[in-house]
Amino acid sequence: MIFFKKKKKKQQESNSVSTKGSLTFPELMKKLTASADFSTVKQSSLSTFYISYYKTLVNPEFVHRDLLPYITEIPLKNLDDIQKHLPLDGMVKTNDVHDIANKVTAGFILIQMNKDDPEGLLVPSLSTENRQISIPETEFSVVGPKEAFVESLDTNLNLIRKRLPIPEFTVKEVRVGKLSKTRVAIIYIDGIADEENVNTAIQRVNDIEYDHVVDSSYINQMISDNENSPFPQLIDTERPDRVASVLSEGKVAIMADGSPHALTGPTTIVEFFSAFEDYFLNWTLASVIRLIRLMAVMFSVLSSPLYVAVLTFHYEMIPENLLATLVASRNDIPFPPILEAIVLELSIELLREAGARLPSKVGQTIGIVGGIVIGTAAVQAGLTSNVLLIIVALAALASFTTPVYQMSNTIRLLRFPFLLFAQFLGLLGVAICFAFIVSHLLKLTSLGRPYIAPLYPLRANDLKDALIRMPFSMQNSRPSLLRPQDKARMNKKRATAKHDIED
Amino acid sequence: MSQISVNKQISPYMAFYMVTTMQIGVGILGFERYIAKSAGHDAWISVIIGGLSFNVLIWMIYRLLTKENADIIGVHRNLFGRWIGGALSFLLLIYFSSTILTVLRTYIEVIQIWVFPELGTPIISIILLGLAYSYVIGGIRVVAGLSVLGFFISLPLFLLKYYALKNAHYTNLLPILDHSFSELMAATRGVTLDYLGLELILLYMPFLKQPEKSQKWAHFGNLFTMFTYLITVFVSFVYFNQEQLQHTIWATLTLWKIVDLPFAQRFEYAGIALWLFVILPNLCIGLWSVSRGIHRLYKIKQKSALRTMILVIFICCILVVDRQQVDILNTKVSQIGFYILYAYIPFLFVIQLISGKVRKTKNG
Repeated sequence: MIFFKKKKKKQQESNSVSTKGSLTFPELMKKLTASADFSTVKQSSLSTFYISYYKTLVNPEFVHRDLLPYITEIPLKNLDDIQKHLPLDGMVKTNDVHDIANKVTAGFILIQMNKDDPEGLLVPSLSTENRQISIPETEFSVVGPKEAFVESLDTNLNLIRKRLPIPEFTVKEVRVGKLSKTRVAIIYIDGIADEENVNTAIQRVNDIEYDHVVDSSYINQMISDNENSPFPQLIDTERPDRVASVLSEGKVAIMADGSPHALTGPTTIVEFFSAFEDYFLNWTLASVIRLIRLMAVMFSVLSSPLYVAVLTFHYEMIPENLLATLVASRNDIPFPPILEAIVLELSIELLREAGARLPSKVGQTIGIVGGIVIGTAAVQAGLTSNVLLIIVALAALASFTTPVYQMSNTIRLLRFPFLLFAQFLGLLGVAICFAFIVSHLLKLTSLGRPYIAPLYPLRANDLKDALIRMPFSMQNSRPSLLRPQDKARMNKKRATAKHDIED
Repeated sequence: MSQISVNKQISPYMAFYMVTTMQIGVGILGFERYIAKSAGHDAWISVIIGGLSFNVLIWMIYRLLTKENADIIGVHRNLFGRWIGGALSFLLLIYFSSTILTVLRTYIEVIQIWVFPELGTPIISIILLGLAYSYVIGGIRVVAGLSVLGFFISLPLFLLKYYALKNAHYTNLLPILDHSFSELMAATRGVTLDYLGLELILLYMPFLKQPEKSQKWAHFGNLFTMFTYLITVFVSFVYFNQEQLQHTIWATLTLWKIVDLPFAQRFEYAGIALWLFVILPNLCIGLWSVSRGIHRLYKIKQKSALRTMILVIFICCILVVDRQQVDILNTKVSQIGFYILYAYIPFLFVIQLISGKVRKTKNG
């Protein structure tokens, strides 16, 4: 209910930067001309008028090729004449100073008949520099589409819309951030997406109170249900095909201008372990790969804590044959298992962080130097056992199999509390730590929907696309977690119709 | 009880998980010895008799509660008035609290005997109660979620029975029906103690959607418990002979010891750790129900009731010092539980029948 209160307040003070006090037109012009890139040109061929714009926002070529030729050749009496003769959309005639201030700073051209006249015609002509659409990097797939979002919202919407050419595809736009006034689009398919989910998303985006919103990851943190949770509660994707696909499931997507990522929700935890490539492979392969990935996550979180727990408290658990190997490798190590594990885990984190901060070519070198040289040296110097080195390296590797970047960060950090509990209470400590995490996950929601949904509340029907992925012919209903308005994806009978031998 | 909003309620099938996780607790780790004392190798028959009798009790509890459309506190109030009913509810809540204490203290005892002999009771009880608090504070949905997850996490432990069956002597079970009826009944009484725990349904039933449907699931839950106990008893009986069994306090735990995987042996360490997910739903459902009961009875906020409960149980937990006291606690609480289920609930049932008739004649 806090949201409602905030919203009312918000609406009163929206656009507060430009509405502060009562701005008069001469004051505004003074402010604008203070910038070096603002230019006012007087045109006086047949009739006199003034054109003002930011040279850095408006392409000068546009002014000279698409604007001036239409109005310099004709005698003009007033702004209506200009509007009539310009073959452009979205022109606004106004004498509202705030409107002028907002639009001019967003890339409109202001045309006036008289320099001190507060009435002007605003012509839209924003030109922005765009990156070319490139290959997805964090969610790369071997097969399937190879385009990723870029920093322009319009381009991104185009990428999604061309995959869903239906009138029900709806885009709601909100401006967020007092200074940045970032365009944020909330995208859904009307008639499929649950209205409650859509409203929650719109409302939460509206409630954002911040001065500048640079990227969708800001929004991700600001609208998440529990902002203290280490678990991401919305999926962050750079693939238009993935967004189009989840929209057709009945989810809601949120995109911000200037961000090459889309957020989708409501999300469940299993979705963070499914790569979009799973849908490009045959269902048997995809299911096995998904299971391997889940195992990898468990291994990554639990392996080094289990090592510490068993070697510190429960060495009776190690069978005789294995014991010899372990003892041989730990013979000369001066440290207790926990210290050994923490030092190794931290050095792996160090390597990763250094690799991530450096340019990719140097990063690779760091990886090799760190992984091979330091690792071998540490074992030969007798500082760590090689068994643990193998475990920790494998665990680090396993954590990178998580397809969503945010989740793989969470997985990697999750093992540290486990390590501490393992040192404190052995296997029981590991179980206790796990129980604490389960308690957190059970309470977590994503856009108000339960986070570990197909597992609890147990929805047997949604399990067809959770831990394993069943064939498309069985994906005949949309996930019931999302409460889609239209539940059926297709005609099940036709999809599963059996043919007789010689049909 | 119509004031409970639908989005606070849980699906009817949750009754299955909540009943079965509540029944299976620490008892299963070592109950074979107690029932074999009186009925020997025929004690498995008592397991079946006990389980079936609890199905009758579930039916009674459901009749009792659905007729009044209330939890046990409401039933007490309707039947005995505010004061006597309140006092009865209070006594019942004390019994429920003592079952929570018993489960917690016995689990700590198992940890101290098998894993960490030096571990102080205060430390581990604070951790376990804190863990339970973090669940109960999330409400019945989170608690029910825990019982589902706990059920599935502990299910694979069944597979460990394979190692005992490899060395089984199936003739241990023969001859069937070698014991007298009274011996079987004595063993049945022993085994009912392990079916205790479902009586908490008296407090959380209004939170289950569609009571008619959930009753079926509660019966299934009880049958699943019976099935679990049957397998446990069967495996223990074919592995140990009767004399050995009398000297084995924790038969199931001892069976875990013989597990021999290529990468791990002495599985009881892992087993006891995993058993946390069997114990935790017990604690959480118990704490939730009792705090809810206090909230209904005295208009105290459920959160404060929960905190107080945790503090009280913590203090009591420290006061129980050694193995003898844990044993006494177990015996006493299960005796009281026996009488509450087999005497008090049928008594309530009869009273309700009579008072229903009286009310009817008054109205008519």
